[in-house]
Amino acid sequence: MASLSEEVLLVLKKVRQRKQDGTLYLMAERIAWGPEGKDRFTVSHLYSDIRCQKISPDGKAKIQLQLVLHTGESSTFHFSNDSSALTDREAAKDLLQQLLPKFKKKANKELEEKNRMLQEDPVLFQLYKDLVVSQVISAEEFWANRMSTTNTENTLSDKKQDVGISAAFLADIRPQTDGCNGLRYNLTPDIIESIFRTYPAVQQKYGENVPHNLTEKEFWTRFFQSHYFHRDRISTGALDIFSECAKQDEKGLKSMVVQGVKNPLVNLLSLEDKTIEEGYGFSAAASTSNPNRTGKENSNSAIIKRFNHHSAMILAAGSRRGDAPNDQASETSSTDGNSRDSDLFQPPIKKVKLQEAIDYLDLQREDGPKTVALNLKKSDRYAHGPVPLESQKYTTSQDIINSITCIRHEMANYVPNLAQVLTSSAVSSAIAALSPGGVLMQTGTQQAINQMVPSEVQGELKHLYIAAGELLRHFWTCFPVNSPFLEEKVVKMRSNLERFQMTKLRPFQEKVQRQYLSANITGHLEEMLQTAYNKLHAWQTRRMMRKI
Amino acid sequence: MKLNIEGLLVYFPYDYIYPEQYSYMLELKRTLDAKGHGVLEMPSGTGKTISLLSLILAYQKAYPLEITKLIYCSRTVPEIEKVVEELRKLIEFHCKETGEANNFLALALSSRKNLCIHPEVSALRIGKEVDGKCHSLTASYIRAQRLSDPSLPSCRFYEGFDAIGRQVPLPPGVYNLDDLKEFGQKKGWCPYFLARQAILHANIVVYSYHYLLDPKIADLVSKELTKKAVVVFDEAHNIDNVCIDSMSVNITRRTLDRCTSNVETLQTTIQRIKETDAAKLKEEYRRLVEGLKEANVARVTDVYLGNPVLPAEVLQEAVPGSIRTAEHFVGFLKRFLEYLKSRLRVHHVVQESAPQFLKDIFQKVCIDRKPLRFCAERLRSLLRTLEISDLTDFSAITLISNFATLVSTYSQGFTIIIEPFEDRTPSIANPVLHFSCMDPSIAIKPVFERFQSVIITSGTLSPLDIYPKILDFRPVTVASFTMTLARTCLCPLIVGRGNDQVALSSKFETREDFAVIRNYGNLLLEMSGVVPDGIVAFFTSYMYMENIVASWYEQGILENIQRNKLIFIETPDAAETSMALEKYQEACENGRGAILLSVARGKVSEGIDFVHHFGRAVIMFGVPYVYTQSRILKARLEYLRDQFQIRENDFLTFDAMRHAAQCVGRVIRGKTDYGLMIFADKRYARADKRGKLPRWIQEHISDGSLNLTVDETVQMSKHFLRQMAQPFRQEDQLGLSLLTIEQLESEEMLKKISQMAHQA
Repeated sequence: MASLSEEVLLVLKKVRQRKQDGTLYLMAERIAWGPEGKDRFTVSHLYSDIRCQKISPDGKAKIQLQLVLHTGESSTFHFSNDSSALTDREAAKDLLQQLLPKFKKKANKELEEKNRMLQEDPVLFQLYKDLVVSQVISAEEFWANRMSTTNTENTLSDKKQDVGISAAFLADIRPQTDGCNGLRYNLTPDIIESIFRTYPAVQQKYGENVPHNLTEKEFWTRFFQSHYFHRDRISTGALDIFSECAKQDEKGLKSMVVQGVKNPLVNLLSLEDKTIEEGYGFSAAASTSNPNRTGKENSNSAIIKRFNHHSAMILAAGSRRGDAPNDQASETSSTDGNSRDSDLFQPPIKKVKLQEAIDYLDLQREDGPKTVALNLKKSDRYAHGPVPLESQKYTTSQDIINSITCIRHEMANYVPNLAQVLTSSAVSSAIAALSPGGVLMQTGTQQAINQMVPSEVQGELKHLYIAAGELLRHFWTCFPVNSPFLEEKVVKMRSNLERFQMTKLRPFQEKVQRQYLSANITGHLEEMLQTAYNKLHAWQTRRMMRKI
Repeated sequence: MKLNIEGLLVYFPYDYIYPEQYSYMLELKRTLDAKGHGVLEMPSGTGKTISLLSLILAYQKAYPLEITKLIYCSRTVPEIEKVVEELRKLIEFHCKETGEANNFLALALSSRKNLCIHPEVSALRIGKEVDGKCHSLTASYIRAQRLSDPSLPSCRFYEGFDAIGRQVPLPPGVYNLDDLKEFGQKKGWCPYFLARQAILHANIVVYSYHYLLDPKIADLVSKELTKKAVVVFDEAHNIDNVCIDSMSVNITRRTLDRCTSNVETLQTTIQRIKETDAAKLKEEYRRLVEGLKEANVARVTDVYLGNPVLPAEVLQEAVPGSIRTAEHFVGFLKRFLEYLKSRLRVHHVVQESAPQFLKDIFQKVCIDRKPLRFCAERLRSLLRTLEISDLTDFSAITLISNFATLVSTYSQGFTIIIEPFEDRTPSIANPVLHFSCMDPSIAIKPVFERFQSVIITSGTLSPLDIYPKILDFRPVTVASFTMTLARTCLCPLIVGRGNDQVALSSKFETREDFAVIRNYGNLLLEMSGVVPDGIVAFFTSYMYMENIVASWYEQGILENIQRNKLIFIETPDAAETSMALEKYQEACENGRGAILLSVARGKVSEGIDFVHHFGRAVIMFGVPYVYTQSRILKARLEYLRDQFQIRENDFLTFDAMRHAAQCVGRVIRGKTDYGLMIFADKRYARADKRGKLPRWIQEHISDGSLNLTVDETVQMSKHFLRQMAQPFRQEDQLGLSLLTIEQLESEEMLKKISQMAHQA
């Protein structure tokens, strides 16, 4: 039996399944159960198949553990060892808790990834059908350089799926009374993640204390008891492990405040030009001194501070991942521009904001094409070739629409200038030359394809093109052939191409021929294939020559 | 486009114009023609500034002898910079159209804090410190001392300016604060002093109110400005408070303690100088005997702007003998200080008028009225003679001497209140002497008298007749313009009841009422689910907001609101609030949506705009009455009643409504903008309140929206927002609220516009 060589992590006796006593084994890669006295497992699940585990609530007579599989099935184990049922169950649960996430991550991540790509990209899916399903090339070949090219893409698409945090996530942790003067908080992994993302200080504490000093449960219990969570309560004492978090937050808040704001229009500090000097003014006395705020007022202002901080943290958590590099860029640009008032760089943000504030868009004429002034920072760089410095938007869709309407407008108002026309003979010869079959039209006799063939043939042709393109891409990537692996591959690709030509292109050509006069719509495809063959041929002959 | 405003060619730097802009320019031109003052109200976001600038610039070009200067006063630094940018646009347009090179000089002036380029001094960032440090480097005798001792620190920018910059006038152009700094950096001249000098010959000066209204600053900066100038006070709805603030003085025990140490320093310095350089003191004495003749001559020949702290009588007389020598004056100050200290030792509140105070001081310590009146001037002279560099240290004694001069000069318009403790904390002794100005016209009087035309303008000046009354001037034009709209983009709603029919109000009796607080919370919660992007909510006071937020927190309302939007709250700390504001905008920007809880009369309500998605709804919780129990306010109300026949209630309501209008006006910043304005207090429905709102808001309040429940409000808001979400193009506006030059010149439109102005 295979299990003999497996590492057994935990064995629990007296576990019932379907009213049958037996033994539960937790192994390195699977969980299994065998009836008592038998040498085989009647139940065996790979960890990667398990979606989640569930346990019966504390205080229930039956102590059970349920495993739910990805397929939707489930198996329930009943721990019936009188003395240690609960500890057994806990042990199994804890071990599973550690093991499952590992396998979840592993669980055919690649396959999922491929699957996702195929689902998201219909063209790719079609290509896959054309090439792999029809066995022109193998699946591995297909994915071989697909994955590497898409790796960068999929990191991008990962980012876009970043979900923000609900502002009210703390409110969602509703305490429930458990009937005997206690409170129960239900935490889900989502909420825990939200807490960690919003309050990195708590995460740090968690890392420091769990599991060496506290169990997870204790940690969260303390969290909910803490002054930190209930900010309106006045401090409970220094023993609280979260008092440090509060201090850290305070520090963070202070540093944010000290940093100041980037937008000068909302900076209340610099709003006043000339503050009234001390001692003048009739309202000054009211705000001069209130050293003795009562406890209630103190807690009120703590609440206010907390809301500001909480909202700021949530905002920051939302943007922390996405624009981390962006942020840095703006940071550096601001340090060389605006960090200190004393150096006289015009803070660009200020200029922009001021312009924004004084513009009346509706008073200006809307049209007038927007142009982007060419701004050469280093002209020699420009002369040496186009280097994409930064992505700039050159045309907005609005611009395009505008220009189209502009053209349309001009066409509508087109008035032929009758004083400047050609003679009729010149015109007729020009028209003749430009008509199909004329002197100037010989090279491009083809009419637009969409007028010649019905749409389904077009679609088929398109698929053929894509498939051929993919194969040819594989083919051409083999050049220059400088390794035995590539040599092998290039020969294989040739056979792939030939197979493609035989199984796909020929039938299509025949079909087209059957339906239409010899519309040479596959000519270009064949040309491409022929070029490839020629290349290969040339390479082979050269190689032969060298060998001789 | 080029406009013809009653025969004046006005270059307007846009392709289209709003009808009200045209109408505004007409009224403005008439005011300038009449060489009188004007009060003009036009909604924010209708291009008030550009209309003003275009017309006055054109006027200046057409009649260079009639008007030689435009002095544009605004409130905040960003506002000032905005005005200059608009001006830049206008002048560029002007040059392009006429093909002439620009010969106008326009510049902004701000405090040293915003203009200093000295690397060490500007790093201080706090206005007072920058001023003090600058003074210690650039004061005249310090520079004189440096001649003998070159090791003393100096400011190379000031030296550069002094050596060359004084003779070279600033070339024509438009200089914003940053442009001045850049120019200064390039030339190595101090931008602040450069600007101070340049405003004398500039065609257009943009600076803050204080440079004209605060006598302490006006005397330094603006007194030599030409008489033939137009002065514009933009965002002037609070101008009376600025005036009062600049003339009021508060004296606490701490002030007096600092004064005592100031006096000691003076005494030791005098002693020292007497031993080393007695001639200097003698010279000063001689000068004082001669009197302040120079200043007098200047004022008579109309070179200077009047200074209310330096009354005319003072100028004609010599400084009285009793305070002419330095020692005598210091002794005099000591006596005065002792007297003030004894007054602060009271155990009950005292309120008296200036003459009573003078009588008392004469009886107790034999101080006469006359030397008191010279106190400010005498101290200035002494400080100059003693060559004290850091004037910020002497702010306390300067304050006391200013107080002495004011109290002995004005028998009316001021009141003295001595409070032994704060009302909220009666057990803690914290005596304060308030010398408070009750008559804003005192500070602004020299401005009205000196300058040819003074224009007071803002988005919210209603009711218009009250400003000429309290500022005591006679305007030639008073007009209010509404916003012509192609779609009604503002939706004022008055919520009077909760869903449970509980009347909503912030009045004192129901302040603590949980039902009201809960209903307010419900309103905000419901709106947070309906309104996209940003919502701004204003409370009547900070205390009130704190209490409401706390009880919303306890009731779990805030948690529910957080499900819809992030919450940011104004705090008394400006830096913290700035950060909250920026985060708020960020949250509106990235689509999460946010709510800003803020306070009427606070910094946010006065200086921050919530354009477009930064504010789609504003909720005004309660009527923002000023704290009426304050004795100073009571005294002021009494004064207003006696002097101007303005009833207390009228003034209080006027004051509350102008602040409410300011708050709700923050969301509409133009015709393409839209926003809900929710007044959550049943008292707004009353005619006396509603009638004091600006016309452009009032005319959109329908009878059906006077006493809504929360649910009805939500329904109406939904409807409004759905309508506003439809695309809105320029063509929709054209001909109605936006005119081309051809449309403007049509008979029909001109008739309409003239009607519009007449209504006002």
